Amino acid sequence: MSLDHTTIEELLAVQTLGGLDGDDVEVLARERAAHGDCDECRRLEDGFAETAGRLGFSLDPEPVDAGMADRIIGTPIEAPPPNADPPSDDLSQRRERRAVRGWHVLVAVAAAFALIVVAAVTLRPGTTSIVDASPSQQIVRFEGDGTDSASLAMAYTPGRPGAVFWGRNMPDPGEGQVYEIWMIQDGTPVGGGCVSPRDGTIALAVDADIGTTEQMAVTVEDAACPAAPTTAPIMSAQLV
Amino acid sequence: MGMTDISEARDRDLLQRLRDRDEEAFRGLFARYAPTAKALAKRVVRQPHLAEEIVQEAFMAVWRNPESYDAERGSVKSWLMGMVHHRAVDLVRREEAHRRRAEDSIPDAIHEVADHAEDVVQQVGLPEERRIVRSALDELPPDQRDVLTLMYFEGLSQSQIAERTSLPLGTVKSRTLLGMRRMRASLEGLER
Repeated sequence: MSLDHTTIEELLAVQTLGGLDGDDVEVLARERAAHGDCDECRRLEDGFAETAGRLGFSLDPEPVDAGMADRIIGTPIEAPPPNADPPSDDLSQRRERRAVRGWHVLVAVAAAFALIVVAAVTLRPGTTSIVDASPSQQIVRFEGDGTDSASLAMAYTPGRPGAVFWGRNMPDPGEGQVYEIWMIQDGTPVGGGCVSPRDGTIALAVDADIGTTEQMAVTVEDAACPAAPTTAPIMSAQLV
Repeated sequence: MGMTDISEARDRDLLQRLRDRDEEAFRGLFARYAPTAKALAKRVVRQPHLAEEIVQEAFMAVWRNPESYDAERGSVKSWLMGMVHHRAVDLVRREEAHRRRAEDSIPDAIHEVADHAEDVVQQVGLPEERRIVRSALDELPPDQRDVLTLMYFEGLSQSQIAERTSLPLGTVKSRTLLGMRRMRASLEGLER
């Protein structure tokens, strides 16, 4: 029996470029299943994958950390323990999880950090403001020294969980570093998530409850997204 | 796979030696492909430190499990780049989901559309393979090249491309297929 490969070829071309989504994911799976052990399907898939893999070679090479190969070689080969971080493709989730773990370890550094934040805000009186966006939604604008062209705002609805952060002209935090957002609740900094600006733009939605937060702060942290702040805030905002 | 040249044979030899935990073989493969892998990851995720993480994870996977390479299915270099690209796109999609959620909630007054206009390649004085791949891309009809570029280098899905370009989804898919067919035909004679 001769099978029609029209649909499967089109979807495989998209899939190998990483662009398949929506209903077509299921359509392709269904087609593949219908074709069973299909040599032509494999030939199409491998051919497109080979082509896609070559596209990267159109780019100019980028310098890579000279010690990376040695670090990889030095990493134990054994299987990760059951509770270890998930492998490879969970970078964002790993950072978010580390931020969440911060809830449990922040107490130890809370007092010191709160003092830093209070000092930062107190030394710049009148630099924070709250503007009504709607009868219910609030927009809080962050301020900070040395970040004149940068703007960072948080939108939230009092009494409801969730907040959205939006930044523009945010400077690059540096190689291997990210911005980490903190909510100061009862003097305790609670991690709100880590984010890297893209072309100076930040957009981050968090599920955290802003309800009891007195202040917000932003620090520059290692890309691992530490559970507790390790640097002084570069921006802050007063909520109450 | 059809034509297999000295370069590909050397890559396969390095992979074979990796199965015996040959550190020099790993260093050889790393030196050969990590810079291009970094370029690809950086092009997709646009963050140098994230690109570096992606490269490290991809090569870690190679070091830990070189057996996952199947010589019957393609070249070592395409296999490697596929791993890097897959990770980069996954990361972009997750962060895009966060970004989309954020943008949906942002008042119009502070909403800003990012400018993604960028050329794929522009330089001269290139190694032969780089030159040929660029040439093949350049020879694509612009509408096909645009779709391939948005999908592969920008990490956009077919639906996102349709939305961004206001093209019907079917047109995005058909242009992708035509572009990939052309690229495949152009590159089939390229040294592996």
